[in-house]
Amino acid sequence: MAQTLLKWVGTSSRLFGSFKPALHTHGLQVQVPFQRQIKAFTLSDRGGGGAGGYSGRDFLALSDEQLMGQCEMDTFKASGPGGQHRNKRESAVRLKHVPTGIVAQAVEDRSQHKNRASALARLRTLLALKVRNKLNLDEYRPPLELLQILPAKSTMRTSDCGPQIGPNNPKFVLGMQALLDLIFAVDGSISDAAKYLGLSTGALSRLILSDDSLRMAVNELRSSKGMRPLT
Amino acid sequence: MICRGFVVLEREMNSSFPRAIRSTISPSSLVFKRPKPPFFAALSRSISVSSMPTSPNPQIPLFLRPPKFSSTLSDLQKWQEWAKSIALSVGSKFVDIDNGPDTILLCRELKWLLEDAVEDKSTVPELGSAKNGRLVRLKADIEELYVLWKQRIEERRPFQYIVGCEHWRDLILSVQEGVLIPRPETELIVDLVGEVVLENKGLGDGIWADLGTGSGAIAIGIGRILGSGGKVIATDLSPVAASVAAYNVERYELQDKVEIRQGSWFEPLDDVKGALVGLVSNPPYIPSHLILGLQAEVGKHEPRLALDGGENGMDDLLHLCKGAALMLKPGGFFAFETNGEKQCEFLADFLTNKLETSFHNVKVVYDFAGIQRFVTGFHN
Repeated sequence: MAQTLLKWVGTSSRLFGSFKPALHTHGLQVQVPFQRQIKAFTLSDRGGGGAGGYSGRDFLALSDEQLMGQCEMDTFKASGPGGQHRNKRESAVRLKHVPTGIVAQAVEDRSQHKNRASALARLRTLLALKVRNKLNLDEYRPPLELLQILPAKSTMRTSDCGPQIGPNNPKFVLGMQALLDLIFAVDGSISDAAKYLGLSTGALSRLILSDDSLRMAVNELRSSKGMRPLT
Repeated sequence: MICRGFVVLEREMNSSFPRAIRSTISPSSLVFKRPKPPFFAALSRSISVSSMPTSPNPQIPLFLRPPKFSSTLSDLQKWQEWAKSIALSVGSKFVDIDNGPDTILLCRELKWLLEDAVEDKSTVPELGSAKNGRLVRLKADIEELYVLWKQRIEERRPFQYIVGCEHWRDLILSVQEGVLIPRPETELIVDLVGEVVLENKGLGDGIWADLGTGSGAIAIGIGRILGSGGKVIATDLSPVAASVAAYNVERYELQDKVEIRQGSWFEPLDDVKGALVGLVSNPPYIPSHLILGLQAEVGKHEPRLALDGGENGMDDLLHLCKGAALMLKPGGFFAFETNGEKQCEFLADFLTNKLETSFHNVKVVYDFAGIQRFVTGFHN
């Protein structure tokens, strides 16, 4: 698949629904503010790929603000008057990423603001896990973001990669996505993937097992191919 | 005196609460031992709360108090188990009565209360397995924690008044009886202001007003996004609210950006008439006849002054709309929170067609739950 391009025809600069006196007569069309509705975007390549042909790398490269702009946000409740009537700390947030349909939510924080940030971080992980970029294995070289999450003993690593980035670092998702792209390209074979990364099969297995969501994504693929799960 | 085993719930708990306990529960009496000055007692007459603030000196939120108490880990665990058992016994009872909190929400609040009460949050997860006498430093006496949780369940005292704060946007604001707890919906007003300031830098360097500021939430939110020349004047009729707002402003070191003035709506703003670049407010907007049916946390504990908007809920909103034309500079922006669709549509029509000095770009903005919540626009 050719490099996928997300071409922004334009993001709406106006957030808010303008007042139309007749609006209420046609069912309630919820126009959520701060949702920065995307007017239109085109994808240069809709063939192949796991999630309709979008490049997940493009999504992850977006700033929080831009990514938020591709999301619909709601707060789980649409009944009752809300506002001053309620004290229920309904700060739960659900984000729906419109281009992919992926939904991320967060309920456990005390402010809506923090829940929004948690949901956005979760969305990034889900995008990394679920949106695949196709690779050309003949010319494959691991991208920098992938090299950065590999242990120092990888022979592909160079000094400019810096210290190994662990699962708690927000940059880990970028490397995780690139790693999953590779593992999908080699149909789930850890030993084949390890060769591309200059690692032993054991070292790559340990890396995969170090993060729960990464392990589950790999094992899901392996079981779909009739392979034994990593443990 | 503190009935640890007391798990029976009664609907009329406020009236059945033992007098001896009632006299000890005022949170202010636990922190400040000041007599109530008659002047403020008279001023706060319209505020219906169970534990009246005794002075306009703001209370310190639990999480900011010094950890001068201690308890053994196992005693704290006993408290937690007791508190949890009460929360579990609530089930969906409050939901059925007045759409109040359920067990899940109460358990979440219990965890937050514990996080605010302990000096070191990392001890919270240890509680499950604790069977030892190790001491934990606390910001409230363990006996007070029993009292506070009883108040939460039996009196339906709002969780935010129990811990003395509310997490709002990226702020932690002090709140107490007599001050409206800022709502998640209202967070959007700051975003709306952020948008217009981004588009028109002049607005970011002028004078804004937040009327009926309560805890100061909106004023502080706006104060943090204005340019170097920008300023917010926040007013509130309630001396308790004014002092809590001032406390919050100070905590975020915004004294140069946000000025608190005590008084009704536009009254303290004579000197800036026609000079405001922005005007925002979350005024009381609930129609009077609905006040009685509100969930207990709101109706029995929050200040009626901040909720009751008169017969149709729009007394104060109409006052604000009429005043906006006089107070705003040409091109000035306003945003008001409302009760919902009916008020939004009425006010948008009123502002567009019924006033001599009209406004332009009048819009209705939805909240995150899809309810028409705000009216915004610009002065011609």
